[in-house]
Amino acid sequence: MTRLAWWLIRAQFLSRRSATALSMLAIALGVSLGYAIHLINAAALADFAHAMKSVQGEPDAIIAPRDSAGHVPRALIDEIARDESVALVAPVIETRVRLGRDSTAVRLIGIDVFSAAVLMPSLLPRDGAPASGGILDGGLYASPTLLDNLGLKVGAGATVIRGESRWETPIAGDLPALAAGEALLVADIAWVQAHFGPHAGVGELRVRLMPGSRAEAWRAAWAKRLPPGLDIRAAADNAARIANISRAYRVNLNVLALVALLTGAFLVFATQLTAVAQRSTQFALLGVLGLPPRMRLLQVLFEGVAIGLPGSALGLTLGYALAVMFTRVIGGDLGGGFFAASTPTIVPELLPGLGFLILGCGASLMGALYPAWLNRIQPLAQALKTGFAQRPPGDAPRTLHGRRVMLLAIVAVIPVLTRLPAIDDLPLAGYAAIALVLVLGIAAAPVATRLAFGAMARTTLPAPLRIAVQNVLQAPLMAQVAASGLIVSFALTVSMVTMVASFRTALDQWLDTVLPAPHYLRSKGLPLPRELLAALELPGTPFVRVERMATGSLSLDPRRPPVALLVRELDRADPGARLPFSGPVLTTPNGEITVWVSEAMQEVHGLRTGQTLHLPLLGRDIEVVVGGVWRDYARQFGAIAISATDYRELGGRFEVTDLALWPHPGSEDAARRWLAAEAARHGIESAESADIRRLSLSIFDKSFAVTYALEAAAMLIGLFGLAVTLAASVWLRARELATLSALGFDRAMLARAVVFEGALIALVGLALGLASGIAVGAILTHVVNPQAFHWRMPLHVPWTQVLPIALATLLAGMLASRFAARQATALPAAHVLAGAQ
Amino acid sequence: MLSVVGLGKRHSGALRPLFSELRLAVGSGEVVALVGESGVGKSTLLNCIAGLEQADSGEIRIGPDALDMHRLDETARAALRAARIGFVFQAFHVLPTLTVAQNIAVPLLLNRAPPAEHGERVESLLRRVGLAGFGPRWPALLSGGELQRVAIARALVHRPALILADEPTGNLDPRTADEVLALLLERVREQQAGALIVTHSRHVAECCDRILTLTPDGLECAHPAGPSQGGRSHHPEPHGGEPTSPPALGRGLGGRVVQ
Ligand SMILES: Nc1ncnc2c1ncn2[C@@H]1O[C@H](COP(=O)(O)OP(=O)(O)O)[C@@H](O)[C@H]1O
Ligand SMILES: [Mg+2]
Repeated sequence: MTRLAWWLIRAQFLSRRSATALSMLAIALGVSLGYAIHLINAAALADFAHAMKSVQGEPDAIIAPRDSAGHVPRALIDEIARDESVALVAPVIETRVRLGRDSTAVRLIGIDVFSAAVLMPSLLPRDGAPASGGILDGGLYASPTLLDNLGLKVGAGATVIRGESRWETPIAGDLPALAAGEALLVADIAWVQAHFGPHAGVGELRVRLMPGSRAEAWRAAWAKRLPPGLDIRAAADNAARIANISRAYRVNLNVLALVALLTGAFLVFATQLTAVAQRSTQFALLGVLGLPPRMRLLQVLFEGVAIGLPGSALGLTLGYALAVMFTRVIGGDLGGGFFAASTPTIVPELLPGLGFLILGCGASLMGALYPAWLNRIQPLAQALKTGFAQRPPGDAPRTLHGRRVMLLAIVAVIPVLTRLPAIDDLPLAGYAAIALVLVLGIAAAPVATRLAFGAMARTTLPAPLRIAVQNVLQAPLMAQVAASGLIVSFALTVSMVTMVASFRTALDQWLDTVLPAPHYLRSKGLPLPRELLAALELPGTPFVRVERMATGSLSLDPRRPPVALLVRELDRADPGARLPFSGPVLTTPNGEITVWVSEAMQEVHGLRTGQTLHLPLLGRDIEVVVGGVWRDYARQFGAIAISATDYRELGGRFEVTDLALWPHPGSEDAARRWLAAEAARHGIESAESADIRRLSLSIFDKSFAVTYALEAAAMLIGLFGLAVTLAASVWLRARELATLSALGFDRAMLARAVVFEGALIALVGLALGLASGIAVGAILTHVVNPQAFHWRMPLHVPWTQVLPIALATLLAGMLASRFAARQATALPAAHVLAGAQ
Repeated sequence: MLSVVGLGKRHSGALRPLFSELRLAVGSGEVVALVGESGVGKSTLLNCIAGLEQADSGEIRIGPDALDMHRLDETARAALRAARIGFVFQAFHVLPTLTVAQNIAVPLLLNRAPPAEHGERVESLLRRVGLAGFGPRWPALLSGGELQRVAIARALVHRPALILADEPTGNLDPRTADEVLALLLERVREQQAGALIVTHSRHVAECCDRILTLTPDGLECAHPAGPSQGGRSHHPEPHGGEPTSPPALGRGLGGRVVQ
């Protein structure tokens, strides 16, 4: 019996090489995408966790200010050091500096050599702290990557600059234990503090507890005693934070991979369905000869696995290659911009690989399920006489009724799903709604084909066309399958271009409002030199207007990435002049501290305009009023804007990091020259708004490049499904066509009829695909994007892209049916009619 | 080999039954012709006997332990067919994607015969049906007569108790038809199987041991009047049909025997 199964599989594959190979490829594509995403991400996270561990050590607790401008007060350090469970406290100050003229910002970590030797040995030269000339004497240790990047050597002098402070000191050693790619400087904490602050405390405290103490209980106890501006967390929380950063992006990519896998399953479905139809006589014969009925089912399933297994295996190999290639070319963040500049090593693992193998085989098996069932229930004697029966005997109106009820239920459920909130920060209900829209689209295919062809049948058509229409009305299965393949692939394409176009249009408009000035000066989070700021105050500069901004960050939730704090020179009476508000804006009395939060903040923390909010600002717990919600596509994890006046009143230091500049009308060239000179002198970055805009859009386009590739793949798969099913439907009618030609229809007429049929099917598929595609696009823009990425935007259907794709698909469909018709009518009619088999 | 008692069948939607209370038997080594007008239900009767269609009443027993085909489920019927029935069709029905030898070996695979025997049994049958050396060929390149020989070899290879043939020579020219038929009868008798052959050909019917005519009123039985080619050594007692019809009462048109 297994031998027979094997013979049949081999014969099937040999006789339909291209269909089988393409089904395998489609499965391979899905598996490889999923596996590659998994590998890259696992490697990037491992890489990041490793790097973090080598810099952070493995403390039992980390105490840090929640405001990036805050500090851990000295008194608290002493108090914690006296706690009897504490074995060691390691104070750390981390800041960002520039080295000499170089404009890149570098991490400078100030450590206490003795505690660091225990807790963070990677931050010291391998042989421990040298007796003299080391950082205790005011030297620096630099990581090998940094030395390489800057072309420096141990022993060379360096100028460390932050804002006004300059510190000239030699590089006393390197840090070979640090992971490659890590660019940082280490100095003694006292020297760092003396030059760059904070003077009243340290930046962070890392705590090692006595052996045997219960870290969690200890952290919980201290959490209650800490002053409001401080946070206590486990080292693992930091890792979780990192994983959370890219999670939504990753899940979204995985959903895309799943979609690719599903289209692969569809292709298996189309291939196997046509295979079953074409071999119905053979299977009937085998049944007569005594093949057990369940083998008719199993055989088709075997064939599904026989497609899925090599396909998945190929997918794994491809996925690995893709992962290696991607990390080399784009980096470990898959173009998402999360883990800058890391090139992680890809390590294939057995278990996930096995998982993806099973997933691929499962998808293939799923595709073979319905064809297998249809094969199982073919009535033997009848199939032997008249071939494939499309409808199972006794497809009662009862099942039709059930189907109608189910469709109505789906229609009712979709709007409910789109209103459900994210689950665990993931838009699971949104994804489910998308799946249901696609199911609905496919389920509508039979009705739509019947309507379209029924309408055609009522018109007066030339005889061959009428015969083709009649044929589809009588035996609609292949037409339905062809249409549903197009529905899914076109829906996916339309939804993707719609989502991307909506986003891009919104981003474009957003850039207009957030970049009001022609020129910007930025220093990557470092304070701008006071000299420069003073120069701008002098009369005679070529600028009419200069607006200053300072950036910081606040940690509102230890397990989430910190949110950005933007201190801006805003007109409190009219913040809308600078912030693109998406809802109402409150005018609050002057005494109240007002902040304006980004949509991500609104989404994550459930904020409303007018609500009060407690912020850990400047080491205190400060009550503020939400004055409005603005759109921000730059900071996915949220941003809070506060006016510089309010911030100063709270006692904050307005350390300017960014400038927006408006030149005097007529002196644009002078302004440009002035900025270029200052930027070069201070090692900062000057950009024109047009450049920033161009750069932003190009980053956007790059990060959606993967989607375009997937769209193309989906369209190809849909088209191929159409071609396969059309060819099969023509093949199944070879005898009928031969009869017609014996009756006097000429070949061209018959071919035209088949092309007409193909075009009508393609039209039905495209129309339904367009409708479901726009629906899916709307769910993506209105539900998935806000929930996963906290980005809101209006829907924008790019007809200039959608319609040409539709037209091209229609033409390709007609071409495919023309090809199928050619093949069927090319056989000598007499040969077909004799019907040797 | 085959005994059918009280068989009745009415297609769903049909006004009157195709046949009812049908009774017939085929003995070991006996070849029975089944004739009748087109549409009278010959193929349906064969399908019922093979368990491809469900009869409405009656019993069908094939082979020594005489299981009732009716009472079996689909899987058991398939197994019974695989073990005890060989089928030959008018339209040959040879699997185009398997070689001649593989086609013939299919029943052996279905019966889980030891693979070591396959080659030998297939070869010897190929020789006996006059197709020695045709094993590795593809069916598409064979003539109709050759294809039907392949089908006959396939129907015999697993030594079934009963051969059912539905107009096996209907698609062949008269000369080839004669050859193929002679071959079929010879092999059936050699293997001591029973055979029920549906045919429209008077000549074919005359070559059989017995002729049954299916009419809308039931089965009528007659012994062929013409020179009987087979069954000389063991002329069996009439096993069935309308039991007491005397042999060779008369021959109507087209070999139809009328009482
Ligand atoms: N599946 C079916 N459903 C309904 N009627 C059928 C079916 N199969 C055959 N028939 C009818 O039963 C009658 C006998 O058919 P068949 O057994 O093929 O006749 P024949 O004696 O020519 O082989 C015919 O009238 C045919 O129309
Ligand atoms: Mg018949």
